[in-house]
Amino acid sequence: MQDMDISSPAAFVNGGLLRMHVGRKVRTVLQVTRSDIGSVMGKSTDGCQLVAKGSPPVPLTSYVEVIGVAENENTIRAELWTNFGDTFDASNYDKLCQLANGELKHLFL
Amino acid sequence: MRELEPGGSCHLRGAWSSGVITQAPTAVPSRSSIGSARSTVCGSHKPDHLEVTRVSTMFSSSQLDGLTPSQFPNSTPSPARLSRNTQGLVPATVKMISEASQSGDEKSNFIVDGVDVANVTAVGMAFNKNSRPSDIRFQLDDGTGRIECIRWITEKIDTREMDALEDGTYVRVNGHLQSYQGKKQLSAFSVRLVTNFDEVTCHFIECIHFHLQNSKAQSQGAALASQKADSSFSTPVRGASSGHQPALPNDFSMQYNSDGLKSFDKMVLNYLQQPSNIDREMGVHVDELSQQLKVPVAKIKDAIEFLEREGLVYSSIDDYHYKAVEGL
Repeated sequence: MQDMDISSPAAFVNGGLLRMHVGRKVRTVLQVTRSDIGSVMGKSTDGCQLVAKGSPPVPLTSYVEVIGVAENENTIRAELWTNFGDTFDASNYDKLCQLANGELKHLFL
Repeated sequence: MRELEPGGSCHLRGAWSSGVITQAPTAVPSRSSIGSARSTVCGSHKPDHLEVTRVSTMFSSSQLDGLTPSQFPNSTPSPARLSRNTQGLVPATVKMISEASQSGDEKSNFIVDGVDVANVTAVGMAFNKNSRPSDIRFQLDDGTGRIECIRWITEKIDTREMDALEDGTYVRVNGHLQSYQGKKQLSAFSVRLVTNFDEVTCHFIECIHFHLQNSKAQSQGAALASQKADSSFSTPVRGASSGHQPALPNDFSMQYNSDGLKSFDKMVLNYLQQPSNIDREMGVHVDELSQQLKVPVAKIKDAIEFLEREGLVYSSIDDYHYKAVEGL
């Protein structure tokens, strides 16, 4: 019953969890603090400052989901961006990141 | 020595089966309450219920309600499957779906976390949309994997729903889990754009919830089955060297049980049922139980009292020594 593509899953991360996945595909939601050409700086759901490199959508909403490869413990090389709107429950998402990296990891990765 | 009262064993059977029910997790919210559950968990999110009315005309409401083993007092839990009745719309990640096995019965359902699953709800990004006259296909990528989704075109409303779909957009797909040429796929009866992204968080939390509910129920089912197996083995094995231990790990029952008293009673019972303890003519002193299980003697005595009433243990040489009843 194989032949299903589960080859490149993206781990749910917040600022603190990013370092556990350096070099691998990750996904996170940032609250945008600054947006430049080629990168976006934002606050992770656990309050860390992270950088997402790449071309964000225009216009950018307050919250953006970034999916990409973790370059180091505070930078993601973004492949996919999704505007998550101006209201988003960051603490719920943060709890999800913790759960998805703990005992329940096998449901995701 | 107390004799086993005839009423005791009937009560035992009732106690075990009711024990499974009362210890089963709370019911998965039914379809109608999922909206309200989401709004409490996920803030101001109000999902678009347009497709719900359409779905409920296609399926009877009993299929849509999340039914759990606790609502079927007569179903016998087995290690593989706890309920003969298929669950409603099950929240799952593509990873969970990829690990589902086929149930092998006529319904050709799948088993996820030990539960019969026919319909699944998933949230992810749509890619590679492919429109044909009879159907529209796309891949759903939810970050845990990709699965093929097929939306069969029978009415104009079906095409309109799919027109809005662009590559890379977040959608919620509700569909029937099927296997075709060895690959799993979703036959989607509903594809809806996600507009409030708390729904994404919510969906994955629901997947976790579903998994935890059913692995809890599964471990109790497995515990029950292994207990039954133990008692049938204990008589012939008596006297032989016992490499055989009860399969139920003690911390398992403590971890997953909502009713602390019952799981603790089981711990005491398991200790007494160990073949090495069964073999001891004088029985086990309550002080030893207290030391071994690392709980105060008073708690041991409570458990013993309960187990004695249930006809599972009896006092041996005095009121401090107990043995498990054999041959149950």
